[in-house]
Amino acid sequence: MKKILIVEDDAFLQGLSAKKLSKEGYSIITASDTPEGLKALEENPDIVLLDLVLPGGDGYMILAALRAKESMKDTPVIIFSNLAEDKDIKKARDLGATDFMIKSNFTLDELAEKVKELIG
Amino acid sequence: MKEEKDELAKLREENEQLKRMNQVKSDWISIAAHQLRTTLSAVKWILKMLLDRDFGEITQEQNDFVKKAFASTERMVLLVNEMLSLNHTEDATLNFIFEPHDLTELVEETIFDFTGESHGKGIEIVFLKPDALPPAFPFDKEKIRVVLQNIIENALKYSDRGDKIFVAERIQEGKIEVVVRDTGIGIPDGEQQNIFSKFFRATNAKAKDEIGSGLGLYVTKFIVEKHGGTIGFESKGSEGTTFTFALPTSRT
Repeated sequence: MKKILIVEDDAFLQGLSAKKLSKEGYSIITASDTPEGLKALEENPDIVLLDLVLPGGDGYMILAALRAKESMKDTPVIIFSNLAEDKDIKKARDLGATDFMIKSNFTLDELAEKVKELIG
Repeated sequence: MKEEKDELAKLREENEQLKRMNQVKSDWISIAAHQLRTTLSAVKWILKMLLDRDFGEITQEQNDFVKKAFASTERMVLLVNEMLSLNHTEDATLNFIFEPHDLTELVEETIFDFTGESHGKGIEIVFLKPDALPPAFPFDKEKIRVVLQNIIENALKYSDRGDKIFVAERIQEGKIEVVVRDTGIGIPDGEQQNIFSKFFRATNAKAKDEIGSGLGLYVTKFIVEKHGGTIGFESKGSEGTTFTFALPTSRT
């Protein structure tokens, strides 16, 4: 079973995403802040859904740490955020994000489709 | 002499203060939009999951109501996005990038981007390409894309199935004009002077129940004028509307 790491501090949004994606047949790991997110990288998920605004740091820190890890340098990372100024998108891309989705512009079935497209 | 200096210093100080206030306003809008988006995401995701039967079966009547709620949420998302885009446009007053581009290509690209929407609505967009293609000239490609999108989107919104929208490009002395003509609902006589005002929406536009914030044409005019260009329209009763904007081909 493919493993998805969801890093999201909003408990409700995290719960909904986890429910939808586990229903699609994925195994889910969740993290609610930056330290938890960094720790969860040890489990080598197949894909990471990453929020940007997170307690104890931010999503960029996790993205940078992940890309520095040999085993995860090619792992798809979808930034899933409502912070979407041009500078945020550029920074995420420069750090190696695979895709950038604005939460309120998508629904979870579309997210699941994107995940499927990336990891099958 | 001294008085003049004092006056100048005072004006500078006031100007600085206005800039600071504008920054506070922009930051506030960004933060508010982020909060609104988070709240809207939760509502939108749940409604879609209900519709997808992720929480189990629902009745036909429940389905119809949830569908309406979902559509309303989509409108709110669009309004938040428009609010942010306006905020950016106003912020970006000094950030126009004027580089030589091919306007004809941009018009074609933009029309192509609307293919799905126009097919869906049964409206044809016809581009009357000029015989002699205009040479590349300096303009801000992404901002003029917004101008074209806003005008064509309006034409699509306020036309009916089976209608045609004509887009033409004309080379004039020192400028290039783009004309977008529709046979839609038109702009009522008494409201024409307000059409470029912020948040203004014509009564017949609101009645047609299309989503809109009343910001599109305001932003459009703002961008065209930043290019040193002009924009105007003609609309007679219910015979439709023709929007024309002109951009100077050289920057002085």
